[in-house]
Amino acid sequence: MGFIWFYIRKIFTLFKCEVLVLPSRVALLVFVVALLLIPAFTQDPYLLWVLILTAIFSIFAASWDLLSGFTGQVNFGHALFFGVAAYTSGLINVYAKVPNFLSIPLAAIAGVLTGLIVGIPCLRLRGTYLALTTLAFPIILTGLIFALPEVTGGELGISGLDRLSTSRVYDYYITVVLMLVLTTIMWKITDSKTGILLHAIREDELAVRAGGINTTRYKLLAFCLSGFFAGIAGGLYAHIMRTVGPSTLEVALSFQVIIWSVFGGIVSIYGPVAGVFILFPLAEFLRILPKVRMLVFAVLVLLTLIYMPEGLIPWIRNKIEKECPRCKVRSIATRKTCRICAASLD
Amino acid sequence: MKKSCFLRGVFLALTFCVGACFPVWGAEPIKIGVIGPMQFTQGEGQWNGATLAAEEINKAGGVLVNGAKRPIELVKVDSNEFLSIPDATNAMELAISRYKVDFLVGGFRSEAVMVMQDIAMDNKKIFMGCGAAHPQLCERVAKNYDRYKYWFRVTPINSKFLVKVDFLVLDMVAKAMAKQLEIPKLKVAVVAEKAAWADPIVGIAQQSLPKMGMEIAGVWRPSPTATDTTAELSAIQRAGANIIFTTFSSSVGIPFAKQAGELKIPAPLVGINVEAQKDGFWNATGGKGNYTVTVGTYARVKIDDKTIPFFDKYEKQFKEAPNYTAGTYDAISILKHAIEKAATLDADKLVPFLEKTDMEVAAGRFVFTKDHDVTWGPGFITSVGTQWQDGKNMCVWPYNWEDLTYEGTVPYKLPDWVMEYYKKK
Repeated sequence: MGFIWFYIRKIFTLFKCEVLVLPSRVALLVFVVALLLIPAFTQDPYLLWVLILTAIFSIFAASWDLLSGFTGQVNFGHALFFGVAAYTSGLINVYAKVPNFLSIPLAAIAGVLTGLIVGIPCLRLRGTYLALTTLAFPIILTGLIFALPEVTGGELGISGLDRLSTSRVYDYYITVVLMLVLTTIMWKITDSKTGILLHAIREDELAVRAGGINTTRYKLLAFCLSGFFAGIAGGLYAHIMRTVGPSTLEVALSFQVIIWSVFGGIVSIYGPVAGVFILFPLAEFLRILPKVRMLVFAVLVLLTLIYMPEGLIPWIRNKIEKECPRCKVRSIATRKTCRICAASLD
Repeated sequence: MKKSCFLRGVFLALTFCVGACFPVWGAEPIKIGVIGPMQFTQGEGQWNGATLAAEEINKAGGVLVNGAKRPIELVKVDSNEFLSIPDATNAMELAISRYKVDFLVGGFRSEAVMVMQDIAMDNKKIFMGCGAAHPQLCERVAKNYDRYKYWFRVTPINSKFLVKVDFLVLDMVAKAMAKQLEIPKLKVAVVAEKAAWADPIVGIAQQSLPKMGMEIAGVWRPSPTATDTTAELSAIQRAGANIIFTTFSSSVGIPFAKQAGELKIPAPLVGINVEAQKDGFWNATGGKGNYTVTVGTYARVKIDDKTIPFFDKYEKQFKEAPNYTAGTYDAISILKHAIEKAATLDADKLVPFLEKTDMEVAAGRFVFTKDHDVTWGPGFITSVGTQWQDGKNMCVWPYNWEDLTYEGTVPYKLPDWVMEYYKKK
């Protein structure tokens, strides 16, 4: 009993000293709790549908950040991972009758393999050349899809996939919980030794290599990890839509993910998630202005990027929190001294 | 007392008059969601067609349901399906869950319609397709009737028949060429925009043209958004083509027809050219698109008693000729007819009545096939072939096809420069 009480007290102390002291962590907590409680207050199918898609695209956007934000391997064809996984899930579910709880992990594996296939030839390229090469892959695959309509369904794609679950609320919880778990895993990866190396590769690859680290292996790992998470998003999307078509490989989707991520703030994982959670529902809200919907959307994104070049969430975070120049720990902006080392924050 | 009685009488009389003038006053409206790419011409056509139908029905008192006349209320839902499939699904959910529509008409991009169709079927909403031609949309009804029975296609005709009409119109032009210019074996240039939907038509053309006694001069695939097609046209002329068989749904249809006219390519244009279905085609080509032939749904001919009034009303109200997505007009008319017969809005009860539809609509006599598709053929919906003749888009097909010629149809005309070229030769 005393053992349990010790842990309860420890959790409470951690909560009090590590969560409640920072507005960003309180906001995250409120966001997670709100997401999990929404179906208890409303089961509006439209709202749940929008949030389901938002959760799926959040995983997708975070996976782009993992590869392009953290590792600096700018991918202009990220829809490739999403589309390959969606088609894999669709093909094995419809033709081989593999249930969705298996087809989605298999789709993720397909994403990993795609990461390998794309990663190996792209490792020699950097910057603009890498970006343009990655852009070509989904276009090539789209061509293949149209060339093999008997298998891929051509223009219409594959339809008749199993539902993700038996109800909209279950769909919601599956996607939202998966989104929370997967983005946490991605965030932990970026915070680990591997993540620091990926970040270092982005900043100065030559220096990392000079340190005796095989950067090729790490870059390939980034492609595979990113493919894995994007693959799960693609598999989930296929079973939610119950149809997989060439739109999952469209260039527009690849650019969409970049807009979400850059808007939210790259090199953070939570930034792209926030970007999707703001922009995707915003596009729905702007249906009240049908004629200028896309224009208003574009202007809002542009203004945000002009005035907040690091993205919305880092900008807000820097306004409400300060980083200690000595120990690098963050404190609320109203404090004069660091909450850990008491160094001056001004 | 007397004054009070008088006032009461006046009030009652006024109430009666107002009630008689507005029989649908206060009745709960029937909500119809018009879903489509509303920022594009296809969506505009869907909305315009539906608006016209709703205005007509409401003016006549509304839809008679169980002895009460109920007005139609249209709900515009932008699917944005050209740019985003998730957007299209959100729009469908919005229409069903938030706007609580009773019925849905519209849809355009086949891939998006497949997903939207599933959402409508999940909610047991009758969805009348007015834009997507893919056969699979109706094959789903045949494969899984219980689930997909709420789907009905009103326009366009199934793409298999659309291709058939395309070749029938080509055959008409080929016969005119052979007869008037005495060319023993015609050479056809197959020109299709570089798009997935056009691929099967190119394949069919390569197989069918030799069987039709024609030779293929070559296949050209310009970009759908090309603005200069002179290279293709010059190559076609060098290949000795006598006819150019077009398959265009995008803007390339304008420069291609314009430049063919400017260069006086000695081969008439025939096939699908969606731009040539629009009124703006003549001005866009500066009149050089004269003699261009395209397959379409509506033309100002007497397909039945409803066609010309619909065509004129549409042109008057929206300052353009209706394109095929304006078939929402017919869809709502069919829906009204079925609701009045079934005396209910219940989807399950309405389906059998919709299946029994046999009525005249603006596109012709409308009957659903057993898999809820449009019945095509003489005596039913046929589609039309139209030709630009000196600034007017005239119906030229069907013309003595299966003993069928719609009143107002004119004979096909060969371009004068083509006639001159072959006569000089």
